[in-house]
Amino acid sequence: MTYVGTAASETAWTRAAANGPLLEVRRLTVDYTAHQAATRAVSDISFDIAAGEALGVMGKSGCGKTTTALAILGVLPNTASVHAGSIRFRGRDLLSLGESELRKVRGSEISMIFQEPAIMLSPVKRAGDQVAEVIRAHSGKSWRDCRREALSRLAEVRFDCAARVYAAYPHQLSGGQQQRVAIAQALACGPALLIADEPTASLDLATQLEILDLLQDLRERLGIALLVISHDSGVLARVATRVIVMERGTIVEEGEIERVFNQPRNAYTRSLVTVRPSLRAVADNEPRPQPRLEEPLVKVRGLSKRYGPRRWRKTFSVQALTNVSLEIPAGSTVALIGESGAGKSTLAWCLLRLEPPDAGEIYFAGRDLLKMPRQEFAAIRRKIQLIFQDSAQALNPLFSAVEVVSEPLDIQRLGAKAERRARALDLMEQVGLRAAWADRSPLEFSGGERQRLAIARALTLEPDLLILDEALTGLDLPIQAEILDLLGELRAARRLTYLYISHDLNLIAQLADEVIVMHEGRIVERAGTGELLRCPRHPHTQALVGARVEI
Amino acid sequence: MRFIMMRVLHSVALLAGVSLLTFLFLRLAPGDFFADLRLNPQVSAQTVAALRASAGLDRSLPLMYARWLKSVAKGNLGFSLAYNAPVAPLLWGRARNTLLLTGVATLLAWLIAMPAGVASAARRFGIADRLIGGGTSLLLATPELLLALGLLALAVRTGWFPSGGMVSVAVAGLSLPAKIKDIALHAALPVTALVGGMVPVLVRHVRASMLEALQAPAIRAARAHGITRRRLLFGYAFPAAANPLVSLFGLSVATLLSGSLLVEVVMSWPGMGPLLLEAILSRDLYVVIGAVMFSTVFVVMGNLAGDALLYAVDPRIRTRS
Repeated sequence: MTYVGTAASETAWTRAAANGPLLEVRRLTVDYTAHQAATRAVSDISFDIAAGEALGVMGKSGCGKTTTALAILGVLPNTASVHAGSIRFRGRDLLSLGESELRKVRGSEISMIFQEPAIMLSPVKRAGDQVAEVIRAHSGKSWRDCRREALSRLAEVRFDCAARVYAAYPHQLSGGQQQRVAIAQALACGPALLIADEPTASLDLATQLEILDLLQDLRERLGIALLVISHDSGVLARVATRVIVMERGTIVEEGEIERVFNQPRNAYTRSLVTVRPSLRAVADNEPRPQPRLEEPLVKVRGLSKRYGPRRWRKTFSVQALTNVSLEIPAGSTVALIGESGAGKSTLAWCLLRLEPPDAGEIYFAGRDLLKMPRQEFAAIRRKIQLIFQDSAQALNPLFSAVEVVSEPLDIQRLGAKAERRARALDLMEQVGLRAAWADRSPLEFSGGERQRLAIARALTLEPDLLILDEALTGLDLPIQAEILDLLGELRAARRLTYLYISHDLNLIAQLADEVIVMHEGRIVERAGTGELLRCPRHPHTQALVGARVEI
Repeated sequence: MRFIMMRVLHSVALLAGVSLLTFLFLRLAPGDFFADLRLNPQVSAQTVAALRASAGLDRSLPLMYARWLKSVAKGNLGFSLAYNAPVAPLLWGRARNTLLLTGVATLLAWLIAMPAGVASAARRFGIADRLIGGGTSLLLATPELLLALGLLALAVRTGWFPSGGMVSVAVAGLSLPAKIKDIALHAALPVTALVGGMVPVLVRHVRASMLEALQAPAIRAARAHGITRRRLLFGYAFPAAANPLVSLFGLSVATLLSGSLLVEVVMSWPGMGPLLLEAILSRDLYVVIGAVMFSTVFVVMGNLAGDALLYAVDPRIRTRS
């Protein structure tokens, strides 16, 4: 493993190593300016990273951790600017460098990987070429050499078949593979510091572990310093040795990771560290009394669905569901767990008749959903509501918050206009949103608030069944916990039934009465939550339970 | 393959529909080719009726349509009453001239608009952006007719360019290079007028889709990897911005035949424009229908070409599994 470094940077390296830390941030203050009003995103923070060290930055979303990272690389958005402070890297003041000098540092000496590799890679370029581009930008080698080097970088991030990945476009790769391509890009020129901004937040658990393991390994083998940004103490515990905790733009706690996590001095830190619910605690609980009723609300029998080959192209057909049968008792919460591609969402779509199944029957409150005429089903559809993962995309940004909530009433023409608005405002308050925010756009809410808005919208038609398709995924853990509490309250108050779909067993364990595990279109295990956690039987379930990122 | 078959079938159905509607509307409009004759007191009503009958205009609509279809099958596309000749060769000669004009104009317009749009988007609200934005606004606000007339006035005053037609009187005696030069000189003004009309719209589209592409997170990531500004613009943002532009290109191919009608009439370019204008004014039924059919074929082919190009340009469409 030899990284090509220029002679100049070698000497800079040795000099800096002798003189002090690799990166030295002093009294950094960053402001965002919008409509002539400045908001302070980062205020007066100082920290060091030594060569080869792994520093974690922890905090809720909006605490300024990403802004700090972007400031180091000099790629802040146009609306943001460094107000005061200095950033020294290997003895050079990065803030005083011109754009072209700074460009040479980016990607070669300091590089970065981002939260969502899916949108951080160019969709129209081959994965390998995107790695080659980085090498080309910093070395001036011929394209042929760059491509060859890119191929070997891909092999370094553990691709078995690097040549195939090289030729693939990002949409042909899984999330974990995309993130590894992004890491290969970041490593392409042998950087001394790698900034990882929530590198695993959008990945499923097994893949999270893989990526974290890879980062750890790279640090040990190549001596690259890491700056890992995360809201998740479990992630940081795996890779970081020291951690700083940020709240509203300032550093509230700093120290060795064991000390900070085991004896947090700050209440905010404590809330971040303890928010992850321990599965064991749930497992040890007595099984909840099951609210059994004579007739289950939803009954699925022998459901199968194959996504056929497209009409005019030779494509694979995918067996999304194979002979799936399940029951959801009224008033209960059933968690449907499985990796992406396990057929969970297809099942939800079949329940809503958004996809016609090939075979099988679905009963809702005793009535056959699939054979029912369209008009009759329209009435049923009000009783089944779906909440999506990404509420920023699922909610119309041109609507105001109150319109988002009242739109279902408008469509169904229930009540007078003023009544609908009043009802929407009432619902907003029930889900913990202030009525004063009614006229904001959904995009002006934070992720958690927006998901509350989505819940309020789903509740307007007073459904019996709420399908939550990865509804908590992508939110910060503390926010996830808050929404989970809200769901619990709503269930008690309105006698709702939940079908919770996720790849993540962690959070739902608190709320779910029963867990159904799916794998490749089949149900491989179903059991009460406590029982399933205590003794998972199917190897796949064991993997899911075992894959938790433990502190 | 099946997809292409479907598209071809769709196209044939579309053509049949368009031809039927055109027939219907032309029949519903009052008057026909011999309407003017009827006003002439020296021509008797019987003569006019006989003329109409000999031209087949007294037949019922279905019968006329059937006869027209037969003529289409023969490759004639009906009969021009004004020119006293089959429509197809007449149209084809004119369409070729129009295609020469609009083809060159479209190509030039894109070649100008792409760099201008990219430069405009590269530094939003920078000097280049403001200049280009001002220029396009001015051109957009100028009616094409005024532009053409202005150019014509220029040609007459200076004598640099011929002020109409497609070839000089003495063209038959010229050698091939001289012929080409002659046509190019004649085409310069109408092409300029057409380019002036097309460029501002294209520049705005290129700029808008470049701006959107530059907003993408992938661009921010590439910037953080130290990719040079030039590569960011041309290697990353431009391919990402290509999709709507390719669709627009397909549409602009579709309007190749109809786009220059006005300019052709004003600059007396012997294309479809003057022919269609005369045909409509004199109610030369089959010429109008033929011209409409030609345009429809182009719309269909332009869209197909756009789709095919999109397929070639965007790997997300090409490699969808």
